[in-house]
Amino acid sequence: MRIKVDPQKCSGCHLCEMVCSLFHLNLINTEKSAIRIKKDDLDTSLNSPLLCRHCKEMKCLDGEEVIKDEEKNRYLWNRVRAERCPLEGLSVVEEIAYHCDLCGGDPQCIKVCTPKAISIAR
Amino acid sequence: MVLERKVAFINLTDDSIEIKPVPLDLRKKLLGGRGINMHFLSQSYTPQLDPFSPDNPLIFGAGLLTGTLGFGSRMNITSKSPESGHLGDANVGGDFGAEWVKSGMSHLVIKGKSKCAIYLLIKNGKVEIRDAQKLKGLDTVETQKRIRQELGDERSQVACIGLAGENRVRFAGIRTGLKNSAGRTGLGAVMGSKNLKAVAVRGSLDITISDPVNYQKYYLKQIKTLMETKWVQALGRYGTPLLFQYANAMGFLSVRNNQCTTVGDQGDTLEAEALEPFSTGMLSCFGCPAHCRHRFSIEEGKYRGTKGEGPEYASIGSLGTKLGNLDLQNIIYATELCNRYGLDTISTGSYVAWAMELYQRGIIDQEITEIPLNWGDGEVILELLHRIARRKGFGNILAEGPHAGEVFGEASKDYLLNIKDFPIEMTDERLPKSFALGMATSSRGACHMRSRPSLDVLGLPEDVLRKIYGGPVSSQFSNYSGKGRMVWWHELLNAVCDSLGFCRFLTVFSSPHAPQYRQFSKLIALSTGLVLTPKELRTIGERIYTLERTMLVKDGMTRKEDTLPKRYFDEPVVEGPAQGEVILREAFDKMLDEYYRLHGWDGNGVPKKETIRRLGLDEGN
Repeated sequence: MRIKVDPQKCSGCHLCEMVCSLFHLNLINTEKSAIRIKKDDLDTSLNSPLLCRHCKEMKCLDGEEVIKDEEKNRYLWNRVRAERCPLEGLSVVEEIAYHCDLCGGDPQCIKVCTPKAISIAR
Repeated sequence: MVLERKVAFINLTDDSIEIKPVPLDLRKKLLGGRGINMHFLSQSYTPQLDPFSPDNPLIFGAGLLTGTLGFGSRMNITSKSPESGHLGDANVGGDFGAEWVKSGMSHLVIKGKSKCAIYLLIKNGKVEIRDAQKLKGLDTVETQKRIRQELGDERSQVACIGLAGENRVRFAGIRTGLKNSAGRTGLGAVMGSKNLKAVAVRGSLDITISDPVNYQKYYLKQIKTLMETKWVQALGRYGTPLLFQYANAMGFLSVRNNQCTTVGDQGDTLEAEALEPFSTGMLSCFGCPAHCRHRFSIEEGKYRGTKGEGPEYASIGSLGTKLGNLDLQNIIYATELCNRYGLDTISTGSYVAWAMELYQRGIIDQEITEIPLNWGDGEVILELLHRIARRKGFGNILAEGPHAGEVFGEASKDYLLNIKDFPIEMTDERLPKSFALGMATSSRGACHMRSRPSLDVLGLPEDVLRKIYGGPVSSQFSNYSGKGRMVWWHELLNAVCDSLGFCRFLTVFSSPHAPQYRQFSKLIALSTGLVLTPKELRTIGERIYTLERTMLVKDGMTRKEDTLPKRYFDEPVVEGPAQGEVILREAFDKMLDEYYRLHGWDGNGVPKKETIRRLGLDEGN
C-alpha cells in the first residue's frame, strides 16, 4: 500500500499536513508532517504534495543494518535518511525527518483531501 | 498555545515595539480576529481622528482558531477608514494568517508613521523593522517576491500594498498571495500613510491541542457533513462566479450604476461556465476543504499571457455589469490590474460607475474626465485604473473616493449610491428586502457580507426559518416581514465567524445545514480547552456588533444613517425579473424597529445603557 498523488487536483489547502502532525504528535505543525505541499502561491504552477512513495529501492536506508519493514512503520526518522531519498519524499525539521507510516494502515490525510489529490494505491 | 498568542504594539514614529499577552478575559469576551481588533480600535476611536494621522491604529487580527482545523483560517484588518471616514474593517483569506499565528502572535496594533518606507518582519514571536526603500513603487506580487528573496525563505507570507496604497488612494486594499485582499474600506491607504509597505510573517511553533484525538474525530465528521451540502459542492466546482448567474436571473445585479438590475441573456458571457475555458484548477485558502478559487490563464487574444487567481463574482459584477462591461477577458484583466496596484475591485467599480453615470447625464464632461466615459468601454476602464492608482489627472479626483463629489458638484451626489459614506457593491437590493436592510445597518457602511442574510432566497418553509431564527420570518425574499430578525441573527453569527477566523462560505451562508454556534463551541473546547456555550458565543456576537455600533454613534451615526441610496426608495426597478421593485419607507422603518429591538438599541439606533451593561461594554470592553 502507498499513497498516490495527483498534483493536478491539489488545492494547496494544507489540511493533510495539519492532520498528519495532529495524528502522530498530538499537535498542529504543518512542517512536522510526513506530507508537505510544495507550492508557490505567487505563481500559477501546480501544487505538489510530497511524501514517501514507499518505493521498493528504499535508498533512504542504504548502508543501515535495520529491518526495512519495521522502519516503514516508523514516523520519526532522521535527516540523513531524508537526504538519501532521491524523490524529496521526506520533510525535515532540524535533525528529524518525518516519514509516512501510512498511519498504521488508515491514512488520515486522505480523509481530508476533498479534491482527491491523494489516494490509496495498493 | 492558541490561548497564549500575543499582541505586538508597534509605533513606527519612534520604532518602539512592545509585545504583550492577550488577556484570557478579553478572549472570553471577544475571541480574537475582528472582535479583539474592535477592542483595540475603540480605544483610539474619536470623531476627530484623521484616518491618515499617525495616531490612527492599523490593526491586524488573526481569528482565535486561525491556523487550526476549523472552518477556514482567515483574519481581519481594522482601522478608521480613509474612504468612509468611519469604521474600517476587512476580512482576508489566503495563507498569511495561518503562517503568522505559528509565530505565537495573533494581533498587531501599528501606530505612528515611519520617516521612510519600511516593512515589518515577524518571526517566531519577534518583530523587526526593515528597510523597504527598494520596494517602493513595486506592485503587490513583485513586492512579495522580493521580500521572500531578501529573507531567503520561500515559506514567508507577506501582506503588502501596491502603488495605490503608497499613493493613498482612499480605496486601496492590503494584499497577500496572488489574489487575497483585505480590500474594503481603504486600509491599504492607511498602511501607505504610515510608510509601511508590507508585513512579512514566518512561524514554526507547535500549536498544541487540548483534546487531540476527539478533536480530529469531530473535525472529520464535520468536514464530511459540510462537503455533502449542495452549496459547498457547487462552490468547489464553480467558485463564487456561480452567484453571478443567480443574481442576473433574479434581478439582484448592479447594471450601469444600478440603473438596471439584470443584463438578461447577455449575461451568458459572464456566467461561471464562461470562465471555465480560462480556469486551470481550483485552489483553497489555508485549511479550507471547499477550494472555491479559480486559477486562470488567458492563452489567446488581446490579454494573452495574463495569469492569476479569480476573478470572484464581486469583481465580475463591479468591473463588469456595473460598468456596462460584458467582456469577460477585459474584466479578468481589469481585476488583475486592480490586484497588482492594490485597488479594491468593488469600490473601484463603484466610483467608475458613478463617474460614468455623471458623464451620461452631462453632470460632468470631458473637460474634467479627459476621456469619454462611455458605458462598457473596456479600454477606458483599464485606463482609468492606471490613472487612479497613479493619481494621474482625472484619476487623482476619483482616487479621493466619495470626496470626488466636492469636485463634481452637488448634483453628482445622488448618483453616488452609498451608505454611511461607503459605496454599494455589485448588487441591487430593491428586490431582496433582507439584503436591503443588511446593507443599511452594516457597521462598515454598505456591505452585504456583514450580515449576508440569504436563507430566505432558498425557498425554505417558514417553520424551518422560524426554527433557525427563533421567530417568524417570511420565506418570500421580497417580503419585509421578519427580515429585521434575519439581519440581526446573521450579523451576530458573522461577527463570531470573523473572530474565530472562519469563512462565511463554510457556515450558514447559503446552506441551513452548515455549521454554526454548536459546532463552533465544540471545536473551541476540543482545540483550546476553553468552554464557551453556543449561547455565550451568540452573546459575543452581540458584544462585537454593539461595540462597533458605539463607534458609529460616536461619529453621530444613528437611525438616519441606517438607510439606503435615494434610488432604492424613489426609482422602481425599470425592467427584468425585479421590475417594479422598490423599497417602501414605512415597511423599511418597521424592519429597522424590529432590528433595533433585538439588538437592544433604542428607537434611534443607539445601544441602550442596559445593553451596554449586559454586554460588559462599560468596563473598558
